[in-house]
Amino acid sequence: MSRPPVGTLIGLPVAAVTLALPAVLDDSALAVYILLGLAAMVTVGVSLLMGYAGQVSLGQGAFYAIGAYTAALLSLGGVPPPVGLVAAPVVAAVFAVVIGTPLLRLRGHHLAFATLAMQLILLSLAGQLDFTGGDIGLQAIPQFGVGSFEMGGAAAYAYLTWGGLALVMLVTHNVITSRPGRALRALATSETAAASSGIPVGRYKLTVFALSAAFAGLAGGIYCFYTGYVAPGSFPVLISIQYIVMAVVGGLGTIWGAVVGATAITLLLQGLNTLATVPGMPTYAPSVLSYAVYALVLIVVVLFLPQGLLPAVTGRLAARRDRTRQPLTEERDGSAAESR
Amino acid sequence: MSAFLGYLLNGLAVGCAIALIASGLVAVHRVTGVVNFAQGTFAVVAGLCVSSLLGLGLPHGLSEVAAVLVAALAGLLTGLAAIGRPGTTPLSSLIVTLGVGVLAYAVEIVLWGDQPRSAPGLAGSVTVAGARIQTQHLLVIAVTAVTFVLLALFFGRTYLGKALTACASNPYAARVVGLDVRRLGLLAFALGGLLGGIAGVLVTPLRPISFDTDVTLIVNGFAAAVFGGLTRPVVALAGALLLGVAETMAAGYGYGAHQLEVALGLMLVVMIVRAGRRSTIHQEAV
Repeated sequence: MSRPPVGTLIGLPVAAVTLALPAVLDDSALAVYILLGLAAMVTVGVSLLMGYAGQVSLGQGAFYAIGAYTAALLSLGGVPPPVGLVAAPVVAAVFAVVIGTPLLRLRGHHLAFATLAMQLILLSLAGQLDFTGGDIGLQAIPQFGVGSFEMGGAAAYAYLTWGGLALVMLVTHNVITSRPGRALRALATSETAAASSGIPVGRYKLTVFALSAAFAGLAGGIYCFYTGYVAPGSFPVLISIQYIVMAVVGGLGTIWGAVVGATAITLLLQGLNTLATVPGMPTYAPSVLSYAVYALVLIVVVLFLPQGLLPAVTGRLAARRDRTRQPLTEERDGSAAESR
Repeated sequence: MSAFLGYLLNGLAVGCAIALIASGLVAVHRVTGVVNFAQGTFAVVAGLCVSSLLGLGLPHGLSEVAAVLVAALAGLLTGLAAIGRPGTTPLSSLIVTLGVGVLAYAVEIVLWGDQPRSAPGLAGSVTVAGARIQTQHLLVIAVTAVTFVLLALFFGRTYLGKALTACASNPYAARVVGLDVRRLGLLAFALGGLLGGIAGVLVTPLRPISFDTDVTLIVNGFAAAVFGGLTRPVVALAGALLLGVAETMAAGYGYGAHQLEVALGLMLVVMIVRAGRRSTIHQEAV
């Protein structure tokens, strides 16, 4: 029995393709590739929060916005871009701790609405305050660079994005395989039971909330350097819903599922966008198609594939591998059934 | 003083519209345990329908009733998606209704475009103690009052209403005595659609409605509903009136830009205070 697990079997080629892609894609494809990586980064956090800590956040776009505004304001103020990029997740996480302390006493639909309200308040404030540039937002944000080196091409941003995603995935992996990770799974099932076995429920929930906010903040920081401007209009409520869709589609509580979900939704939307801008289609076609796709994918997956795409597929693959191994021994049969 | 009275009555009218949305939320949540995120959508659908029907030349009255019935149908369809499949948890149902709301965006843009639309309501205004009030505002208050009285009679005096109340208080016992909990849940969704539709029809002449107005409506409605813990319609009504008056006063006395923050901040404070008073065990057991 020396077959490598499915993860390694698929993971290595995927990593190789990921590294090779920026070199071959043209600029418009690279833009999709970068936005996909950023969305995946936020989605990993959402998946961790929903799948492990059992908390729904409809306001993840707010942390994305905080990261973007932080990095933009700092670098417009003359601070070196790397400092801005580091500050983006830190500020987002600190903000999450501050508002999470009262908000995380809520759960279920109350928390969902509270986080949605938080995003609406922040967007409204960003559109009114002077230092955030009002509705016009902040423009002419300098390029990202270290010292005298300045990043110009989109390919460099692609490497930065996917490097960031790799870091986020590594952190998440370490969190969920650690002792706190098991504690998180326990508190998602029942907070009372978790608390009675000595898990500091409040502190762990807050930590995961802050961690997912930091991921979104990092993605926002990269986003602002890549696009060169931020405005309240870049972070609509729909963007938070989009992360939920991606996390649910990929499978909650799986790291790779978040990436698979983000990829599937981004590519699907991109394909539809190409279809919708074909001459002869009505002008409203792109927005209608994207709304319809978000909605239908979300409803169908929640109702019929509640585990998500990736666990459903890998589950089926594992079942097939088990079946091919069945004739070997009685004993293995038993252990396979047990492990499932 | 007359300005104050004007703001008060306008605020009450705004609050009444919020109260209708909130009562729809409460009706659905009591019976099914689901928070219906598409509740604001029903109002938008009814508002857009009434603008189209009046545009086609249908008389007042008929158009409004037809629009409300369309909203009730939308409620029923939402219910089928949200609780039609056995074993859907309330949180999954919330996400499904979120999906329904986004799906409605697509349908609404195809049918009505993405520009705000309005509809003619009751024209003219009356003067009450020196304050000029639009007649439509008074109509909103009157219709809401009648609706709440009818709701109270429905839940308190009819067999169907009592069956709904039974499901709300103990679904298991309701099943034991032979009530079809799922069908009653669908009925609650249709009722929610009906109430949302009434709100939409009343509000459209006051402020133009576009496909994405539902976020404001649902957030306000939810804010009012949490006053009553999502289960008590009368407290939700009081919360909605308070919210409507607070928002209108804020706008009237020069803080119009912060109307949304006032409503949302109030909602957050109420939720957090209430959450602090209830124990975790109780919330998990329910």
